[in-house]
Amino acid sequence: MEEHQDWNAYLEMVGKDSDKAAYTELFTHFAPLLKAFLLKSGSQNMEQVEELVQETMIKVWRKAKHFNPSQGKASTWIYTIARNTRIDSIRKQVRQNPNLLNADDLYDSDAIMTPHNTLIELRNRRNIRVELKNLPQAQAEILSLMYFQGQSGQQVANALKIPLGTVKSRVRLAMEKLKLSLATHELDIAQDEGEHA
Amino acid sequence: MIKRHPDSTLLVEYSSGSLALAPNIAITTHLQFCDQCRRTVNALENIGGDLLDATESVPVSEDLLDKVLNCIDDSNEPTTANQSTVKNLDDLVDAVPTYIQRFLPEGRLNWKFLSPSLKVAAISIGEDVHELAFHKIKAGGKAPEHNHQGTEITVVLKGSFSDDDDIYHPGDFIIREPGDIHQPIATKNEECVCLSVLSAPIQLTGVKRLLNPFLSFSPS
Repeated sequence: MEEHQDWNAYLEMVGKDSDKAAYTELFTHFAPLLKAFLLKSGSQNMEQVEELVQETMIKVWRKAKHFNPSQGKASTWIYTIARNTRIDSIRKQVRQNPNLLNADDLYDSDAIMTPHNTLIELRNRRNIRVELKNLPQAQAEILSLMYFQGQSGQQVANALKIPLGTVKSRVRLAMEKLKLSLATHELDIAQDEGEHA
Repeated sequence: MIKRHPDSTLLVEYSSGSLALAPNIAITTHLQFCDQCRRTVNALENIGGDLLDATESVPVSEDLLDKVLNCIDDSNEPTTANQSTVKNLDDLVDAVPTYIQRFLPEGRLNWKFLSPSLKVAAISIGEDVHELAFHKIKAGGKAPEHNHQGTEITVVLKGSFSDDDDIYHPGDFIIREPGDIHQPIATKNEECVCLSVLSAPIQLTGVKRLLNPFLSFSPS
């Protein structure tokens, strides 16, 4: 936890003072993590991945002044920037929706992260970190395909040759284990196929 | 009170970035109404941050830092054209993300009657897997009974409607699968406006892929 607060502080220094020394620290820590994270998608070569890392880190510099540490930790903020950068790069490749929208428009972080949300979220943080490590393999595998490779539920089902319903129930079970409040999401429960993997 | 929410798989797809544009817009719209799902998305993005933290790092090229430092030297944040001046989408509620307007040729919705009680305004978002549209049922009006070729997401924006199953209010996120036949009826006192996303509406190829995301088009 202390480590997170350090990165938050560095990010704030970049945002407030355009502090290049702090930025260099952030880069040295996060650029290799981003490279590893993006390499796991498997669909891009080393060169493309480095370009994405570069683009993501440039956005970190430009957007740092919008980072608000009371709304979450630096690595989550940087993750969302990397995610959006990857979405935009894939859209460019399939020539979809050129220039009209980028992923930053779609995910309005101000709308999503409110202080009220964050209080509850912070209370649950430690649980999530521990529980993430203790997830059953079948559930962890699905989450990792979705997060690292950007696969949809249907794509995961195809890749693992299991029904979409099974993917959905494993995702839901993982959410329950991670203690994310989805209790009233009745749709999920209605679709439960009774699997308790 | 919102009763219908996206399921957890959809929220993970949203948070991990695999949703196509149209369903992504539907979720974003739902989030404007729903604190609970916003919290969940927040937590799911944190999982992304945790996974990033826990990754075994891979060294980047030695010159990458210099490249990046050079770039940031000669670039400030591009002045984002922050068009907070929201043109009134006819009389639509604020819930619709304002970026929708970029897809409207003259900033207006082009309403067409589908039946005496039902109007539709389709929006071309440059994505051929889904069709995005607004539907408006007049107060007390019935939409024609219909079947679905593809999966349909409906988010209620204003007013309310009912079908055989339930009554739906602003923010409710309703999914209909192919084969679900239903006939929405707007409540008597107010017209009902919804955002809807239909997957593969025209092609009758028998492909029943749920929310087939554009990301599945493997570029290589």
